[in-house]
Amino acid sequence: MSRQYNPAVSAYNNMDIENLPSVKEKDTSGLLTRKSNDMDKSMDYSSPSIRVAKQLEVIRKHRNEIDVA
Amino acid sequence: MLLSNEPSFDGPIPGQSLTAEVGARPWQSPSQYTTVDEVIEYYMARMTSEDFMLQLVDVMEMGIPVTTLANTIQMSSVMEGIHTVDTGMLVLPVLMEMMMLLGDSAKIDYVSGLENPDKGKTRKSFLAKAASQYKESLSKTDVKELVEESKEEEQEDDTSSGLMARRK
Repeated sequence: MSRQYNPAVSAYNNMDIENLPSVKEKDTSGLLTRKSNDMDKSMDYSSPSIRVAKQLEVIRKHRNEIDVA
Repeated sequence: MLLSNEPSFDGPIPGQSLTAEVGARPWQSPSQYTTVDEVIEYYMARMTSEDFMLQLVDVMEMGIPVTTLANTIQMSSVMEGIHTVDTGMLVLPVLMEMMMLLGDSAKIDYVSGLENPDKGKTRKSFLAKAASQYKESLSKTDVKELVEESKEEEQEDDTSSGLMARRK
């Protein structure tokens, strides 16, 4: 079967979610701790591709859990 | 390229796009969902319904690639005016991942469509290139000379080399 061009293949392969900056958990959790997060500044959440990547990351995590189980 | 003499009736008739008023088609009017979040939410609600899940699992079990399914679903939504082409392209990976999640949770064997079926096969263009190079080399070499040379070699090989053979 010849392979026709499908945009889904390139769209999926170009989602580099493995290299997304991960959220670091803070050591302190008191009321007076600063709320600023360096990771949030490095990622532009207004960008649709970043939002899609975050959604994809969540679903991939669930999928990996199913595969392991 | 091989051209068929038979007419194709699959394509639209020339001028068919001008048979309706501009804006009358669903994809010509503003889409129902405009942001990526809204589109993902729309698909999540649809995909988590039991009817959709059962149908999807049946189709995936038939061996239809996930990439084809995802693209078809988003394209039909564009035609219905639910979202635009660009938001459809953006949510394609999420659709695929969700479908694969459903397939994994249903424990079925499915085709993702991400593998290249032509991988490892010899390209037709490569074969054509090799054939043309061979033809070119044939045209350059003198075949008659080669045949005569090979005949001479055969004659030399035929000379007897036994113990009783005459020495030259």
